[in-house]
Amino acid sequence: MESNPKFLDPQTLAKLQGLELRARSIVEGYVSGVHRSPYHGFSIEFAEHREYTQGDDLRYVDWKVFGKTDKFYLKQYEEETNLVSYMLLDTSESMRYKSADAPLSKLEYAQCVAAALSYMILQQQDSVGLVTFDNEVRSLVRASSNPSHLRQLLHVMENAVAARKTQTGPIFHDLAERLKRRGLVLILSDLFDDVPSIMAGLKHFRHRRHEVVLFHVLDPAELDFPFRQTTLFRGLEGLPDVLADPRALRRAYLAEFEKFLQSVKKGCRGQRIDYVQLRTDQSLEIALSSYLASRMNRVQ
Amino acid sequence: MFQWPSLLAFGFGNLLMLGWLGAAAAPILIHLWNKRRYRELSWAAIDFLLAAMRKNSRRLQLEQWLLLAVRTLLIVLVVMAVAQPFLEQVGLSFVAGQRTLKVLVIDGSYSMDYKPTDKNRFERAKQLATQIVEESSQGDAFALVLMASPPSVVVGSPSVEPRDFLEEIDNLKLLHAGADLPKTLVQVEQILKNAEPSGPARKEVYFLTDLGRNTWVPDLKDAEAAEYRQRLEQISQLASLVVVDLGQANGENLAVTTLTANEPFATTAREVTFTSQVRNFGAQARNHHLVELLVDGKRVKESYVDVPAGEQIPITFGHRFDAPGDHVVEVRLGPDLLVIDNHRWLSVPVKDHLRVLCVNGKPATVGMSGATDYVALALNPDVGDLSVPSIVQPEIIPESALLERDLTRYDCTFLCNIAQFTANEARVLERVLEHGGGLVFFLGDQVLVDRYNRELTGEHGVRILPAKLQELVSEAQYHFDPLNYRHPLMQVFQGREQSGLLTTPVYKYFRLALDPDSKARVALAFDGGDAAIVEETIHKGRSILVATEGSLSSIDPATKSPWTTLPTWPSFVPIVQEMLALAVRGQMTEHNLEVGQVLGDSLEALATRATVNVTDPSGSHEEVRMSLDAQASRWTYADTTISGVYRVAIGAPVSRDEAFAINVDTAESDLTKLSPDELPKQFTTHQRASLDEMQSPSIGHRTGLHKSLLYCVLGLLFLETFLAWRFGHATQ
Repeated sequence: MESNPKFLDPQTLAKLQGLELRARSIVEGYVSGVHRSPYHGFSIEFAEHREYTQGDDLRYVDWKVFGKTDKFYLKQYEEETNLVSYMLLDTSESMRYKSADAPLSKLEYAQCVAAALSYMILQQQDSVGLVTFDNEVRSLVRASSNPSHLRQLLHVMENAVAARKTQTGPIFHDLAERLKRRGLVLILSDLFDDVPSIMAGLKHFRHRRHEVVLFHVLDPAELDFPFRQTTLFRGLEGLPDVLADPRALRRAYLAEFEKFLQSVKKGCRGQRIDYVQLRTDQSLEIALSSYLASRMNRVQ
Repeated sequence: MFQWPSLLAFGFGNLLMLGWLGAAAAPILIHLWNKRRYRELSWAAIDFLLAAMRKNSRRLQLEQWLLLAVRTLLIVLVVMAVAQPFLEQVGLSFVAGQRTLKVLVIDGSYSMDYKPTDKNRFERAKQLATQIVEESSQGDAFALVLMASPPSVVVGSPSVEPRDFLEEIDNLKLLHAGADLPKTLVQVEQILKNAEPSGPARKEVYFLTDLGRNTWVPDLKDAEAAEYRQRLEQISQLASLVVVDLGQANGENLAVTTLTANEPFATTAREVTFTSQVRNFGAQARNHHLVELLVDGKRVKESYVDVPAGEQIPITFGHRFDAPGDHVVEVRLGPDLLVIDNHRWLSVPVKDHLRVLCVNGKPATVGMSGATDYVALALNPDVGDLSVPSIVQPEIIPESALLERDLTRYDCTFLCNIAQFTANEARVLERVLEHGGGLVFFLGDQVLVDRYNRELTGEHGVRILPAKLQELVSEAQYHFDPLNYRHPLMQVFQGREQSGLLTTPVYKYFRLALDPDSKARVALAFDGGDAAIVEETIHKGRSILVATEGSLSSIDPATKSPWTTLPTWPSFVPIVQEMLALAVRGQMTEHNLEVGQVLGDSLEALATRATVNVTDPSGSHEEVRMSLDAQASRWTYADTTISGVYRVAIGAPVSRDEAFAINVDTAESDLTKLSPDELPKQFTTHQRASLDEMQSPSIGHRTGLHKSLLYCVLGLLFLETFLAWRFGHATQ
């Protein structure tokens, strides 16, 4: 799909004030490149037939009707809001990190993604809810498909403060119990926590038959470790400080980090969870495409 | 090949540079400084960093130490290389680090001019000598000897000023002569013994030579050989001897070994033939090699010759000179790797005709009864025939006029039946010989034996005659014995028995007594064994004594017959002509000498005021002073160190130009090289021939290590780069 990259670029977004404006820019930027409406036919309930006209998607041709009438009819679905999405936004202190070269902190980037997705979901008249959490659930906004619901979501997002430790595993268990209606769980976090605990929490979601898309938000510096000079690394979330020569340690650090990523990816694969890695210096297009792909899977 | 000595000492050429070893602390200081200088950064993924550190702390520390060690070592090695480290041979009596007296002996023989590359051996020897001096430690002393023939001590008192000494090396010039190793060793021993006791305790002698066999295997008699070996042993006790071999095996060389005139004298009246020998000293045949003949610098002929390996071929050519005076004939070969011996010069004194003085001791009373009549006729038998150019012009004077003539102006003087000579006359005759002239004595009935023996045979210091006169022999008829025609004077008669030489009757002659210590030779004898003709080279001239008469002027009173009928015999003319040729032959060689021989001449006393200017082959002029002794003025010039033509201009009142040809002794042209294994055991050898010019390792038994260290530095640089990259320090 073609898109307008300008509004998907974190550099551009960083210049825009307010989540709503950012969300709108992202979605409009993304959608402007789509020739046909992405919303069309995403509903589940059948509404009526419409005669085929040139240019229609052949996938929606009702072949049974064709067999009976020898004419092409397309199945039209009622755009009913029976898809519920939950946005789980990690607001722990580690999400506050922003390296010198990154335009947005991980939290800001995650907020943009969450906002854009919310906007998109509501545009589709699906319902979306929001949970912000660190070592406990900080706020929980129930899912709704009301377009005005967006403002509330954005308000909660914007007021989220990243200052505490993470405790992702127990939170996921708690939420899996609390989010009763089966839906699409979109998690935005750096997952800097105990991986087995996180995986156990995710498993719980799956057990409750939620579809889960895990957006793993990471700063480019965390992935590349580009430092040269001797540095005192000050630990966030109460972790100790480390004085190190980054050049000497780079290989070992990257190995450790890769191990962490592999364990997360492996866990996700095992539970059929969509894993999407987001670098805060990358276009947001990846996040939106991933969401739409998951949405599509769910429809089929 | 260089043999490593059993004991080695390590030292530095420039100890001051070792002060920079402090710089080796730099990597450690930089490391510590880096640890203190850090920036702070909030970091979310601290868990992974902590895990990485936990697992790798020991490895990281090890890597850090390893890198620090490599970097420190790098600086240490660079500093050490700059400080010029070396390994030195240490004899049992030597202690490393002591001051050293280095005697540099540079081979100055002309084989050192061999030029296989862009530099000849001599230039390379100078270069290496310079290198030895430059690489020496502070406080070392130097002496310099040019191994030539004779050797020349350039710096005899050990010099501690390398700069001045290097200038002396730079000024050394190659001589066109051989090298005298035994005499050089005498000089070296003298230098070592004369070295101050407070001076350097350690002594080294470096011989920079091409190891030419003709130099290093001296041709010595038994006593000399024993002395040579003994001296070598003594020197080796005083100093260590190092031979630096600059020679190349299989040195190919072509040389002109001889150039002579076939005629005893040259006149404008006839062509002169010259013979030159070209020798191939190499192992490969030389084909179609250019040979040029030059007369007075102008090329008159050229030809191409094939010279088989190790052989010599003659080249003969003729030339007729247009004008009298000294002319220079040169044979020149096309270029090869040793140029000096590609030329040979011959200075040829050319005259319009030969001037011969006949001194008559018994004037004619009737007809041909004078003592000189037959001799004068024999000298110029073509007299009166205008179609034949006169080569010899005899002039007859009575004996009373002897002192009135300047005999040195004559090429030869025939003294016939002179009764006696005064002391003054004897000195005049001696000057003739000193001047290279010829004297021929015919005896006769006028001769007073005592006077002859007293004035002319050295009893009063003047020796002119090659033999003493004894009693008259007249018992029978005698005939000549040509002594197998061995003497050059008689060779013309070989195979010509009909010329009557053997049948010539002699009735009376003086018995001649030869001094066994003299070089006098009997050219012709009587059948009784007595000498008939004796000749000897005295001074630069030649004296010939005939035991009997040269005319019919002497009549035996008893028999009323002449002493001999030789003058009327057909053999008389060739005998006189050959005696004249032999007597003047010295003039052809008078101006032809070898390198190192002294030029000179004696002139009449009046010439004291004359200036003598010598121009050597390089074109530089030198004015030579006259010295006066007895009745003659003499000039000498000894600086004949290079081969070529030396022009001598003698000013007024003599006003004469002369040309001297100085040639090399071609023994040195044989480039056969002595194998280092054949050298006496006292020498350590060091092969230098195969090293190219770009290399400059230290030489002798001091071996420079800086190059090895720099290679180590290079290796460490690669290692450091690799380790830094491997340990993650390199730019990713």
